[in-house]
Amino acid sequence: MNPLSSKPDRHDGIIAGLLWYGTLIASAVIMTGIILGAVAQIDGAPGLAPTGYALIKLGVVIFVLLPITRVALMLVIFAHARDYTYTAIAALVLAIIGVGVLLGL
Amino acid sequence: MDIATLFWLFAAAFGASMLGGMLGMASGIFIVPILIIAFGVDIHVAIAASIVSVIACSCGSAAPFLKGRLTNIRLAIVLETATTLGAITGVLLIGIIPTPILYGLFAVILVLSAQQMMARRRDPALVVTPDPHSWASRLGLHSTFPDRQLGREVAYQVARVPLGLSLMYGAGVISALLGIGSGVLKIPAMDTALRLPIKVSSATSNFMIGVTAAASGGAYLVRGDIDMNIAGPVALGSVVGALAGARLLMGLPADKLRILFAVILIALAIQMMLSALGIHLWGTGL
Repeated sequence: MNPLSSKPDRHDGIIAGLLWYGTLIASAVIMTGIILGAVAQIDGAPGLAPTGYALIKLGVVIFVLLPITRVALMLVIFAHARDYTYTAIAALVLAIIGVGVLLGL
Repeated sequence: MDIATLFWLFAAAFGASMLGGMLGMASGIFIVPILIIAFGVDIHVAIAASIVSVIACSCGSAAPFLKGRLTNIRLAIVLETATTLGAITGVLLIGIIPTPILYGLFAVILVLSAQQMMARRRDPALVVTPDPHSWASRLGLHSTFPDRQLGREVAYQVARVPLGLSLMYGAGVISALLGIGSGVLKIPAMDTALRLPIKVSSATSNFMIGVTAAASGGAYLVRGDIDMNIAGPVALGSVVGALAGARLLMGLPADKLRILFAVILIALAIQMMLSALGIHLWGTGL
């Protein structure tokens, strides 16, 4: 057994928490947006429609950012554990995602 | 957008994802055909919207695997270098590849998924002594997981990391090109190349899918390719459906469900192949 590989149990819990609560928040924001959109249409309150759309968009953006935040969190965890090989690997993944976003611009 | 359409998008994603969740499979592969066939959405719009729901499902279902210590997060981050690189390759390719080829590629992946649905996965024979000079040993990837049936920790070795990385690159390209999680390619790669125990490979694959999809999803987002009125309700429906499906897992006969799914996958493959050839059996669009 490699002693390095059995350690990060505690960290698994932190990562699980980030992904779970992030999913809850993003889902709640999208649901609120959809409900506002529905109210705008049914009640004929068109002022709410742009807010509803903005909330749906915000929820989608939170979802896209969530795994990226997870990689950043892992980078911090590895750096904190002075595991520099893995800190570099996590940084590389973030850099690749960054290049992808730049390509999209 | 009409609120009824938003509701139907949510309901369709919920249904597909709940059925998928019962078999422990991601629903991304159903989302794109549903959007194209039932909602008349352009394939590129469908792909960009689907990628968001793929991210949502991966994030939403990660926690129990992590808490059960089935996810090998070190292996995941190593392989994510390859999947994200594949994903941005896919982002570059999607603008160039002709639409009929995308349909054809999708049909092939659907057939592979059907085949995988019917195949039995087997745990690889565990190798006792790891090669100390292999990539996996140097990177400290070997680990253990708690096996509930045996009631003890089971140690496992990770084999052939370079082969795994190249297969993961391909899985990343396909994920970005088709708006799917590519579990259909990741799982065989992890089972056969890396020789992981099934539970570890499923959990780790699911964990990586989110980052892979975020690499292409981020690019599609800044490019303005994501239609929020489609992506929003579909992501919400997928995540709620997957959670509901995972809880219904016990109730239904899995073998019959598998056959049903394989049949649906083949039917969708035929439809996508016909679209690739420019034949439309029924009018698309509401």
